[in-house]
Amino acid sequence: MKRLDVQALKRSVGVVAALVRLNVAEELQYRANFVASLLGTLFWIGTALLTLALFFRHTTRLGGWDFWEVVVLLGVFNALTGVIEAVLRPGIGQLASEVKSGALDLVLARPVDAQLLVSLRQLDLWRFTDVILGLALSAYALERLHRTPTILQVAAFLVALAAAVLVVYAIWVALMSLAFWFVSVENLSVLFDAVYEGARYPVTAYPGALRFVFVYLVPIAWTTTIPASALTGRIGPAIALGAAAVGATAFFLTRLLWRTALRRYTGASG
Amino acid sequence: MSALALWSRRYGAMIRNAWLVDLQYRAAIVLWVLWGVTEPAIALGIWWSIAGDGAVGGYDRADFARYFFGVMLVNALTIAWDSWQLDRWIREGDLNYRLARPLHPVHEALADNLAYKARSAGTIIIVWLVAASVWPAVRLPLEPGRWALVALAVILAAAMRFFISFTTGLLAFWTTRATAIMELHAGVSMFLAGRVAPLALLPPAVATVAQVLWFPYMLAFPVDLLTGAAPTGAALMRGFAGQLIWLAIWITAYRLAWHRGLRRYGAVGG
Repeated sequence: MKRLDVQALKRSVGVVAALVRLNVAEELQYRANFVASLLGTLFWIGTALLTLALFFRHTTRLGGWDFWEVVVLLGVFNALTGVIEAVLRPGIGQLASEVKSGALDLVLARPVDAQLLVSLRQLDLWRFTDVILGLALSAYALERLHRTPTILQVAAFLVALAAAVLVVYAIWVALMSLAFWFVSVENLSVLFDAVYEGARYPVTAYPGALRFVFVYLVPIAWTTTIPASALTGRIGPAIALGAAAVGATAFFLTRLLWRTALRRYTGASG
Repeated sequence: MSALALWSRRYGAMIRNAWLVDLQYRAAIVLWVLWGVTEPAIALGIWWSIAGDGAVGGYDRADFARYFFGVMLVNALTIAWDSWQLDRWIREGDLNYRLARPLHPVHEALADNLAYKARSAGTIIIVWLVAASVWPAVRLPLEPGRWALVALAVILAAAMRFFISFTTGLLAFWTTRATAIMELHAGVSMFLAGRVAPLALLPPAVATVAQVLWFPYMLAFPVDLLTGAAPTGAALMRGFAGQLIWLAIWITAYRLAWHRGLRRYGAVGG
């Protein structure tokens, strides 16, 4: 039995890898999109920095963070935005409309893990530039802070960043799964965009009630504040353990939710 | 039938139609309202903690609360999605049968606007009333004279944003990136229209540039009228004059783009 599972997993990974290859080949045909996406990102980073500069005209610290520390966080935010736009929105983001139309049948009928397939079958390749630009922004801000992170801090940052990706993924799965219960809602991703806006700033910059929401209810504090803090040394490397635990829990919950939600799915003809 | 009766019957039918279509997606409506509310809520959260117990540029916490509640409401009353709509109409050919009707398509767009503005503004007014019942900071004084001026400023702002959005959407006759231009416009309006901060908090040079453009008249001016950071006398006249001048300019731009674009569109289809 166990042996079979491993084989199934291997097959799933193989199929998804083939899909990704196909996707890359397809996207490489549209290089003008690369320029457009790059310009869009640069414009976005520009407005984010100007907004920040505007806040810092009237204060010297934002939730206890100084300007360049918040820029480190903005870089992390931008890197995560890249992952969201490249992987999550084109993949899992389509789930709600597929549940509605019954197109999910075509996914479920395939002999691969459905969650894996739904999550990774479609990539918007060029948006990965956001990840690179975001991390470059963080690196530049660290330079301005005259802080060179230790190996341990970088390691903690990478773990926290991986956990952040899992948390964001979990939020998307949770949102999209709502479609299994409320079939007529198609713009569920709007809800994500609305809440994720809050992750642009350190969670300490918000009044108490909002902060509570961001740490515990919709845990977006774990997506940007924690990785940025690990990188600047605001929090010790031990936070990596906490982040790993949060990330693993988030992922485990998505698996559970996915199975529960699927049981409700009756298909196009049901 | 008199012209007035004819037009009110036409608009009545179109607005009812728009309402009935939207009513099928009630949950979606709630999500869009939520999306419109988070950006000002986050800006308010940040300014709230920056202001602390003091004041920033003459704004204390209560002033910020009133300002951003005003932004939520005025934005809901004036926002126009026509660029996205027109871009789709033109690219996918949905404009064709609309042109064949005996009624200019701009009227359908206007009726749509009236329908969704009434809906989202209604929701926000309810939220505001609930908030005001427990939180005195966001209560507004009852002054009929000022409310009349606010109504006028909001109508002019809504008309202007409608024509900006419609005209930008018409650029789809020439380019496939009309909506990207609208995103750029939205990015600039974050600062110049007062979405992230009251104009009084911008660097003076930027605020001066903003005054000669159309941005403050789309949002900041009606909001200031509403919250009672009321420009009086000469400033009031200047505000309304700015609204009227820019409205006239955008209507001219719309007429130009419509006639030129349609000629081009015919050439493509013919």
